[in-house]
Amino acid sequence: MSADIKKKEPLLQIEALHLHYGIKPVLRGIDLDVMEGEVVVLIGASGSGKTSLLRCINLLNAPTGGRITIAGEDIYNAGDDRGVEPSMYTGANTVPMRDVNRIRSQTGMVFQQFNLFPHMTALENVMEGPVTVKRADPEKTKEEAMALLAQMGLEGHEHKYPRQLSGGQQQRVAIARASAMHPKVMLFDEPTSALDPELVGEVMKAMTQLAKSGMTMVIVTHELGFAFEIADRVIFLDQGCIAEDGPPNDVLLHPTHERLKSFVGRFHETANLLRPFLEGTG
Amino acid sequence: MFDFSVIIQNWPLFWNGLLVTLFYSAISISAGLFIGLIIGLMQLTGSRLLTTIGRVYVEIFRNIPLLVILLWIYYAFPIFAGLSITKFWAGFAGLSLYAAAFYAEILRAGVQSIDPGQTDATTALGMTYYQRMRRVILPQAFRRMIPPLAGQSIIQIKNTTLMSMITVPDILYQASYVSSFTYRPMEVYTFVGIMFLVLLVPLTLLSRKLEKISETVK
Repeated sequence: MSADIKKKEPLLQIEALHLHYGIKPVLRGIDLDVMEGEVVVLIGASGSGKTSLLRCINLLNAPTGGRITIAGEDIYNAGDDRGVEPSMYTGANTVPMRDVNRIRSQTGMVFQQFNLFPHMTALENVMEGPVTVKRADPEKTKEEAMALLAQMGLEGHEHKYPRQLSGGQQQRVAIARASAMHPKVMLFDEPTSALDPELVGEVMKAMTQLAKSGMTMVIVTHELGFAFEIADRVIFLDQGCIAEDGPPNDVLLHPTHERLKSFVGRFHETANLLRPFLEGTG
Repeated sequence: MFDFSVIIQNWPLFWNGLLVTLFYSAISISAGLFIGLIIGLMQLTGSRLLTTIGRVYVEIFRNIPLLVILLWIYYAFPIFAGLSITKFWAGFAGLSLYAAAFYAEILRAGVQSIDPGQTDATTALGMTYYQRMRRVILPQAFRRMIPPLAGQSIIQIKNTTLMSMITVPDILYQASYVSSFTYRPMEVYTFVGIMFLVLLVPLTLLSRKLEKISETVK
């Protein structure tokens, strides 16, 4: 599979991405390529810039410099800013807003707080994107949305409002809503952090299912066990830079970076106990 | 002790006064909502100039007492502008401009109270500003705005009595007129109070009901 991927152009290309809040640098030159079908997990301490990086990919956060390309099209290009001192970046995007919205709709995003539309049913939430943004046929979209909700194990909940659903169910509706746009890449911002512990599993299961279907995914999570299981690649961010990037086995079990060692420390203890089992099967 | 025959004898005056009060309430609430919508939306565009204009408008009309506004428009403005203004226009303009400031604040606060996550979600789907407002933000904001809008409108109906000071013949003006020749202020003003209770208690109860409805859509 990996030999296959290497021949292709990366689906998502990030070059020299900078983000400043005022004068405070949050991202300091991120270079990252994500291949089609790849599942990339971003980890790092709070404040390391992992959520900011994720939100820059669909421009929910406006970067201050660099370039982002999705499926060969620029969604963000700071243009002449490149090569200028990072603190002098203006952040102006040379890509017109109309293109930004179009390319944006090719990315799907799932949020920590779900952010479902509370005045719409689960079904209407899933149909909203295709019908309003893509002007898709409502009847066809409805069928497809019903199927997506069923895939997420939400049969019988289609006509409920978000407030009538549990957190885990809401998050699965949110995943269905994002998938309904047929995105080329899906972005997950700590999708299980706001959930009660007993509801985390069902959301992880839904995401694993999505990953197996070949969806390209970028995930920010604190659940290192889940990262180990779902990721093709784990990236450790530290102070706005990529400090380590590799297969989960390397990054999570054999970290070289000092900060990463302490970050995965707790996970490591558990992982050590599992290692004989993992090596036996791997 | 009470002799309410003065009310019955002068019923046509009270009835006319009541109609005037209702008429001014209706037109000033409608115009106030319309102007308020514009002023409120101006502050939500993100343009610094429009936001400032909206802000200044709201602060001026929220912080000057309505009675002063009415007296100023009726007695001072004509001298400034060198033109004459009728009671109708002075009362209508004063009440509407004053109400608009409060309606604008309700609208702005309603839209701004919507969780920023809703904006994130619509943006991530690729929606434009207009689609986001129409499909997601305003439907939620309007439901939240129903109770404060109802409350402000009730205050507005009561505020119409201030027009009696610029001799608009509303129910309070008629009452003081009747009281001046019957020497029966006790009956007359008690009756005016009761009229407002009869008019507004049902509206208050209705707005409580609406409040419950808007809570369920939170």
